[in-house]
Amino acid sequence: MKLRVNGQDMQLDVDPEMPLLWALRDELGVTGPKYGCGIAQCGACTVHVDGLAVRSCQMNVGSMEDGADVTTIEGLGQPGALHAVQEAWIEHQVAQCGYCQSGQIMQAANLLDLNDDPDDATIDAVMSANLCRCGTYPRIRAAIKTAAQKLREA
Amino acid sequence: MKVLTVLALSLATPALAAEGKVEINPPEAATRDEGLAAFARIYEVASHPRCSNCHVGDDHRPMWSGPSYGKTRPHGMNINGGESRIGAETLLCSTCHVTSGIPNNAPHAAPQVAADWQLAPVEAAWFGKDADHICQQLRDPEQNGGRDMLELAAHLDHDVILHWAWSPGGTREPAPYSLQEHVNDILIWGVAGFPCAADPVEESSND
Repeated sequence: MKLRVNGQDMQLDVDPEMPLLWALRDELGVTGPKYGCGIAQCGACTVHVDGLAVRSCQMNVGSMEDGADVTTIEGLGQPGALHAVQEAWIEHQVAQCGYCQSGQIMQAANLLDLNDDPDDATIDAVMSANLCRCGTYPRIRAAIKTAAQKLREA
Repeated sequence: MKVLTVLALSLATPALAAEGKVEINPPEAATRDEGLAAFARIYEVASHPRCSNCHVGDDHRPMWSGPSYGKTRPHGMNINGGESRIGAETLLCSTCHVTSGIPNNAPHAAPQVAADWQLAPVEAAWFGKDADHICQQLRDPEQNGGRDMLELAAHLDHDVILHWAWSPGGTREPAPYSLQEHVNDILIWGVAGFPCAADPVEESSND
């Protein structure tokens, strides 16, 4: 099957029941999405599929449309042109250990795709399924507000 | 607004049909007592966690329960299905409950079916409701999606998210009876005239 990963067409010849996370990391070498729990309880593996955030540990490649558009943290922005969420993450120094952060950023970016001015309750409701053992939640919330402002002013 | 666009697209996605999974053969006749007995079994299904945990009210909060969780509790992670009942206002159910026909073997993993995961319509709030409330709701076309007896049975036949209740996978306890037995009970109850236990019983006159 084919997937379009971060703007590049990629060919996969794997078991249809292979989770997308495995395909990305082990077959395609895209290691930004992290393995956390493997059962959609932590959000570390969050990527965008056709524009919506999904837990890639749960999505089997065989259930995806051929040519589905997959965006990972590697494709969200570029080193010289970061996504507003990535910029805000740096400004607020959100990350501590960093393991969950690619999933956090991908979920936050999708939140702002759908809602350009989320209040605290909405941010909490959307981000509560992305766990951070370091407890960076206050900085995550602040960074999302900063990113929202950047996107509104862009 | 993008949220509404997503909602509209999501609701426009048809559930994958699986018609023909059960036989729909109404009995020629059924007494009131047989209808009440059938509804008692229907209530066992409707009030079972595999069904009622997603048939929640207007707080839109799905529930979790089962051997692994002990007492029933709200879905973890502050999840709220919203008025959309698919989480469009905050976090889409499909973020974790992906659409797939693969069996749910892993305990604790987000269940997935070959249809869009969602809460039942708020009119069909069953969680914590007694048998008479559910009986009145299920037989009222204004609260059951405009369905008659055969349409209720057909709904159970083709809506695969309902089939999951009898094959939930992991260590989850399935709903009681079987899908076919549940459909049979709907048909018996319907042929008997959809009786509810709280209905006044007409007494024959001695005059």
